[in-house]
Amino acid sequence: MNAGLLLNATICFAITISSFAFAWVLARNEEEHSEKSKPALWSLVILWSLVGLTYLPTTIRMIAAYFGKENLDIMMYSLAVIPFSFVAVPLVFFILYVIAGSKKISAYISLLFVLFGASFLMFLFTKGIIGPIVSEYGSIFTINSDIAINIYMMGLFVIPTAMIIGFLLLIFLQKMPKHLRYRTALPLVAISFVFDFMLTDMITMVDVMQLVARLFVLIGTVLAFLAYFPPMTLQEKLGIQKYQYELYEKDIDIDEEEEDVDV
Amino acid sequence: MSEDIDVGLEQAVAEFYQSMGIHQGPGDIQYRLILRVLGKNEGKITEFSEIRKYTDQFADKGSIGSKMKTVFQLEGLVEKVKRGGYIVTDKGITASNFLKDSTAFYKKNKRMGEIIERMP
Repeated sequence: MNAGLLLNATICFAITISSFAFAWVLARNEEEHSEKSKPALWSLVILWSLVGLTYLPTTIRMIAAYFGKENLDIMMYSLAVIPFSFVAVPLVFFILYVIAGSKKISAYISLLFVLFGASFLMFLFTKGIIGPIVSEYGSIFTINSDIAINIYMMGLFVIPTAMIIGFLLLIFLQKMPKHLRYRTALPLVAISFVFDFMLTDMITMVDVMQLVARLFVLIGTVLAFLAYFPPMTLQEKLGIQKYQYELYEKDIDIDEEEEDVDV
Repeated sequence: MSEDIDVGLEQAVAEFYQSMGIHQGPGDIQYRLILRVLGKNEGKITEFSEIRKYTDQFADKGSIGSKMKTVFQLEGLVEKVKRGGYIVTDKGITASNFLKDSTAFYKKNKRMGEIIERMP
């Protein structure tokens, strides 16, 4: 029984809660978004829900590992890997829809990633997993299929990551108001953080790396929160706060006003 | 190389610049269309009638003629080589290239605006 495992479980639980909360807040504020941004909004809701669904069984898995319940550990790993395999689907839809604007094309291409995810799962479940290896900080499984790992690396990791980087470049190369740059770039950085470290979490063989990867997933979730709901101090620091003003209704006679000014 | 002139696009670009308070040059549809026709005919004589083919829906013959004289000829963007025939100068080509850049800026801005609109 290791305290490290409990710390791991706590981080997983924090990721679960914050991802679900974020998905819920996004869905609840649906009315505030325009019709054009709704498909992208719902893909984000699905993405964060999938992150939550991945880390909910992982939390139980870590607690099971703490109590030495190997069967529950294996069962929860098998459960967690299902939403994990499809995280790339809403992500790809989100990026493609925002860039290209076509729901149909984005949906068809996302479907391809459903196939990637399904084949990853198929190879993973048919070839099996090795483990768990329970250590001081985590419980690690090894995927017993090189094809599954390759599918994940090539199909589910490299392509979506390249899409995020491309989209980020597009934003950084464009001159735009500061608050818009913040609003578009930070969610992408957050998603990239979560997505990349989820993969690291899944394929790592080192327990400390698993813990650190999960910590970064948590940081990514917090970043996503900050992207959509930046606190006032951060807004002031970055110079992105909205100046509160009321329109000056009185007609101004410029000549009169200039006369009033004591130069 | 011959290039098509999209009057609708030119009008949209002009309106975009007008919305930013730029009513002359890139924000002037007459200026845009005249310069686009001149740029299309680089190294050739541009007939006044050809310019009017594009500008008739926006302005009468008199105001286009006046613009040719007071802006294009006066600033050395074109040279009159015969009655109703103009040839674009190097300076005119520079102006035409600037106009193309202004269209590219409009397109880039529009595309980015649409992307931001779709971003939740």
